[in-house]
Amino acid sequence: MHFYRFLILILAVAATSARAELPDYQAFPAQGTQLLLWVSSERGRAEPEVQAAQKLAAHGVEVWSLDPLSAYFLPQLPRSMDAISQQDMADWLRSALAGGKQVSVLAVSRAAVPVLRAAASLDPAQRRQLGVVLMYPNLYTVAEPLAAPDYLDLGQLKGLRVRILQPRRSAATPWLPGLVDHLKVYGATVDPVILENLREGYWARETPTEFEIAEGHRMDGLLLRELKALGRK
Amino acid sequence: MKRLLVTLALGLFLMPGAHAAGFEARAVTPAPILNARDLGGTSRSLADYRGKVVLLNFWASWCPPCLREMPSMERLRVKMAGRPLEIVALASAEGPNDVKGFLSKMKLSFPILLDADGSNTKRWKVFALPTSFLLDAKGQVRYVLTGPTEWDEGEALKIIESMLEESPVLPK
Repeated sequence: MHFYRFLILILAVAATSARAELPDYQAFPAQGTQLLLWVSSERGRAEPEVQAAQKLAAHGVEVWSLDPLSAYFLPQLPRSMDAISQQDMADWLRSALAGGKQVSVLAVSRAAVPVLRAAASLDPAQRRQLGVVLMYPNLYTVAEPLAAPDYLDLGQLKGLRVRILQPRRSAATPWLPGLVDHLKVYGATVDPVILENLREGYWARETPTEFEIAEGHRMDGLLLRELKALGRK
Repeated sequence: MKRLLVTLALGLFLMPGAHAAGFEARAVTPAPILNARDLGGTSRSLADYRGKVVLLNFWASWCPPCLREMPSMERLRVKMAGRPLEIVALASAEGPNDVKGFLSKMKLSFPILLDADGSNTKRWKVFALPTSFLLDAKGQVRYVLTGPTEWDEGEALKIIESMLEESPVLPK
């Protein structure tokens, strides 16, 4: 046991002392004025996400698609997202902002955690330039039956515009008001949107409904509407 | 190099958390309020089932694991016929149309309750579906299970049998 503790200590020290790196992402270049940073969930980047990114690029919206757990060789578990380097993610956001385009971020499920923490570490002026779309965000520290939910500390989000896309058919939907309040406590401006007749990850379900398949093919349209709602032109 | 080090360090932390969930015994505490209507519109509460062991199952018609375990709940009902066990399935945050649509495909004979506004789901602090609670004859929560199981066999059946054995025999 002492050996493992020692090993973890050594690895953690070595990891934190190493210089920050930008995570590996897949770019879908476009000539327009908008850039969407698409951060996939702990389940990884699904083919419909790639197709939607291609369609968005065809509409002039450049997309940088990041599969964080794959980029960092982490197990496909929600908790793995909490371990993504905040510094790396913040550098990625800064690098996107430095390009001069209007930058929006889409984070799916637990990917909301590294994205929001990175946004919190930006300068207030940089944070105000960002728009964030959270698809069924999972921000729980603890969510056990019969116990009140507990949410992660996120840091300062003042000036950050957040839209939450919550599929109606989700166990998290009754808890959406509490989640919105939690984000507001940190200073974010939050607008929730319910996606009717859809489940979490509807574009990549094992047994999708016909409606889910159709909506999976229309994700580019959904995101274009969301970018517009964030004030992107 | 940095990512490799992070991966190794975090892997040691994360892997123990990957085990499957099972029944969780709870310190005996009174159950939250259950206030729901059945498909006929009749108001139901836990008082309706007092004196029986209750399997209270939170589910939804769009939730595949929920639907997978339902046939085993029906088999459990048949197996336990005449014994003081009540199986109650509460459709979490769903309207009657979706529930009735599902029931037209799967024949179930235990009570189905509606929680269209999600108020019971919130009172019972249910964050994942299915989530099931086993209540003793006094209406106290004894076990919680997050995720599906085969209710008519294995650990589930053993726990239910043990709870039935400790239940008082009520006069007829």
